[in-house]
Amino acid sequence: MTLLEIDGLTKRFGGLVAVDDLSFSVESGEIVGLIGPNGSGKTTVFNCIMSTYVPTEGRIQFNGHDVTDDKTYQIVNHGLSRVSQESNPIDLLSVGANIKLFTLPNSFLACALPDAILARRSDGGPGILDHAERVGLGDKIEEKPGSLAHADVRRLEIAKALATDPDMLLLDEPFAGMNQAEIRELSEQIEQFREEGITMIVVDHNMRGLMQLVDRVVVLSSGQKLAEGEPEEIVDDEAVQEAYLAGEHGGIKR
Amino acid sequence: MLSGLPTVLVNAALISALYALIAIGFTMIFGVGGVLNLAHGALLMAGAYAYLLLARDTISVPVFESMTLHPLIAFPIAVVTVAVLSYLLYVVIVQFVEDNPIVTFLATIVVALAATEVVIHYAGASTQTYTLIPSDLLPSTVGFGPVDGILTVDVVGFVVSWIAIGLLWLYVTKTDSGRAIRATSMTERGARLTGVNVHAVRARTWLVAGALAGIGGVFLGASSSATPGMWLQPLSLAFIIVVIGGIGSIKGSIVAAYLIGFLQTGVGEYLGQNFRGILSLVLLIAVLFMLPQGLFGREYHE
Amino acid sequence: MSSDSAFVRATDAVKAQLRTRLQPVWAVLCTVLAPLDRAIQPVADLYNRSLGRHFGTMTGLQFGVIALGFGMIATVPFWSPFYSETLNITFAVASIWAIFAMSWDIQSGYTGYISFGHSVLSGAAGYTIGLLILHYDPSMGPLVTIPLAVLASLVLGLVIAVPSLRLRGPYFSLITLVGVLLFTNLIFAFSEWTNGELGIHQVDPFTYEPWIRYYYMAIPMLVIAVGLTYVARSNVGMVLLTIRENERAVSSAGLDPTKFKISSFVLSSIPMGIGGALLVYYGRAINPVSFVEISNSIEIIALAVIGGMGSIIGPLFGSFLFFFLEEELLRDFIEDSSTRTLVLWLFVLGVLVFARNGVFRVVWHALGAVRGDSE
Repeated sequence: MTLLEIDGLTKRFGGLVAVDDLSFSVESGEIVGLIGPNGSGKTTVFNCIMSTYVPTEGRIQFNGHDVTDDKTYQIVNHGLSRVSQESNPIDLLSVGANIKLFTLPNSFLACALPDAILARRSDGGPGILDHAERVGLGDKIEEKPGSLAHADVRRLEIAKALATDPDMLLLDEPFAGMNQAEIRELSEQIEQFREEGITMIVVDHNMRGLMQLVDRVVVLSSGQKLAEGEPEEIVDDEAVQEAYLAGEHGGIKR
Repeated sequence: MLSGLPTVLVNAALISALYALIAIGFTMIFGVGGVLNLAHGALLMAGAYAYLLLARDTISVPVFESMTLHPLIAFPIAVVTVAVLSYLLYVVIVQFVEDNPIVTFLATIVVALAATEVVIHYAGASTQTYTLIPSDLLPSTVGFGPVDGILTVDVVGFVVSWIAIGLLWLYVTKTDSGRAIRATSMTERGARLTGVNVHAVRARTWLVAGALAGIGGVFLGASSSATPGMWLQPLSLAFIIVVIGGIGSIKGSIVAAYLIGFLQTGVGEYLGQNFRGILSLVLLIAVLFMLPQGLFGREYHE
Repeated sequence: MSSDSAFVRATDAVKAQLRTRLQPVWAVLCTVLAPLDRAIQPVADLYNRSLGRHFGTMTGLQFGVIALGFGMIATVPFWSPFYSETLNITFAVASIWAIFAMSWDIQSGYTGYISFGHSVLSGAAGYTIGLLILHYDPSMGPLVTIPLAVLASLVLGLVIAVPSLRLRGPYFSLITLVGVLLFTNLIFAFSEWTNGELGIHQVDPFTYEPWIRYYYMAIPMLVIAVGLTYVARSNVGMVLLTIRENERAVSSAGLDPTKFKISSFVLSSIPMGIGGALLVYYGRAINPVSFVEISNSIEIIALAVIGGMGSIIGPLFGSFLFFFLEEELLRDFIEDSSTRTLVLWLFVLGVLVFARNGVFRVVWHALGAVRGDSE
């Protein structure tokens, strides 16, 4: 079943067209890779989906609802969460409190209730410790984000997104700044998420980490959809090769 | 008693120049440092009372024996005094807190309230009036044709305000130090990169804004009166004008000053003095909701 | 803090010097106080285990100070005559302003959207009472007027909050500032109803007995303190703080920041209304100078800032500290009231520049650090 549908998405900033008439969809249970050279508009697409930007044209449907004009918090409550390229931890709060925030219901009165009553209401779903352990931060709940290593901050970002109990995750450059071991570990976790029923779009600017992971690839170049298909097809696609050579050194790496 | 329309229009045009002067100082300080100087009205008050101190013997302050200087001497001294006070305000207090807009808001308004206490202590809480233009020099009111009852001091204030605005324009366009102010106002990072000492620029801006406030204050006090509570009205006027005109824009301040000047004078004349402030405040609220960056301004960056 | 200026660098050097000079003093204090901290800890832990989850955990010394403070506030009429005749009255007034300061704090201190207009909320409550008594029924009792007054405050809070909290911080602050000016202007413009500057004086107080009058003020204040502290330490407080620190994260968490901002403002209006009503019945009058004018809003903020924004208890102690200084301590040294006020404003300025997190917060952290630093 189609979980996310993007139809004719266009985003202009004054004279600059960052995304140009983009259409694609994501089926439930898929992992779709969204790739393209730097500046091709990948993060802008995510920003439009999450309503950080208001699309100039086009419509976005999630789980049957038209979410184009919804606010960010509404989209999150529909079941769509994002892990941004830049980490944005809440430095004032501990790791555990960071995650807790993302589990809270969107209600002033409910948030005023003591945790004991809140826990009873959510009848046995994963608790904060569970969310933390899922990404390997179980022993760091009391620490502040400021004292965490970079990889742990990235893990916290994922934990926060997961804590909103999403049906779909947008992952923006999740492998950036990671070594081979960390990339492997994260890829395994992403597979794990798929098994738990989470659909995903993963953005990366090259195919390296993505090849094994994704079912389908959508290639962006200068804001337009250049190609779409299985990873093997895309890697061999000449137009894609050219876009990468024109924009970056070395093209797509296998 | 309703004056004729021509008189009202002339009065509005005259007072608007003063409003513009007041607003420009306020907007300059915001432009270079992102600081909303809520003590700006207090600086105006300082101008009025400094002049009173120098030109009348109604106030006695330790060290200064009561004196009565000629207006042409007292006036520039008063202006310079306020300029220095403004400079000190920046150097001694604001530069330590300007990184935090909330604390700066509070600090500057506390300064304004503290200034009120100082004024009450030395000058008393009651209203004082003074004449700026000695009546042997010029008649106290003028008129021509259908227009009459115009206060001479308002005319002189108009002329002086425009001279000051003109000098200011020359300063920020023709001199290096003035251009540094303009540059910093447009882009702080860019200014820093070209070697501008942002701190020195800010301090200088406060000095200049203080001078403008001093001029404005003396004329404001002469035109109406001097009271310890007189800082609030010009302050609210200043930011109404600045927000409508666009924060950081001198041109916007002038245009908005005339808009507000005419509005206030008209309302005051035809609806009653009590309602003068209300309409301007309502207009401000409307602008804040519909056009927060004002007519000519940039958006407030956080 | 910018590093360009020589003046700033000089002050930093002075501050560093001061810190090194005071170090041995601090060490002595720690050695003396640590045993006390350890002694009280068992009682503090009793509290920590039961209520700590809801109101915040404390060390022994912290618990001791809070218990002592609240104990003293609860028993003022008994011990205050030994200090001065007027302390009773001073602390009654401080209680009312503590209500204002705490109400302001739960909204402005926590969300970071600074309201300069809180005095219109207490003013609305006050004028509701005044107008009802003056124009409707002079014999109307507080049991009827006060709920109506609080309702007025709440409605006004909604009217201000709903449109304004969509704007960004500084613009919101400006709107609230304009709100105060507008309200003040309206009071003068409609003087036939409101009696303008003179205000309305026909209010009968609850009681003329100073002891009982004190408790009429202090008990609501303590109840409000407990209530607001509970809210502040709950998840609501966490959301509000996050709005202050990182509003984008709040949206990403699926929470509507505007809804929480408005709710905190409306929540804040209720105790503001209560405080406004109490102030009317205390002073037996309502007028623009004591209620609405901008200096009242600034004073509320000053009390909260001196104590420590974003803590509820800080503003409470800030209020008591300020009024104690103004009415008791400084009165012995400075006779002239405007000089006293000047000194107080300078004190506030000093706190803003040197200890912007508030006096109480500095003391609180020091108390918490005693045991650690003594080892």
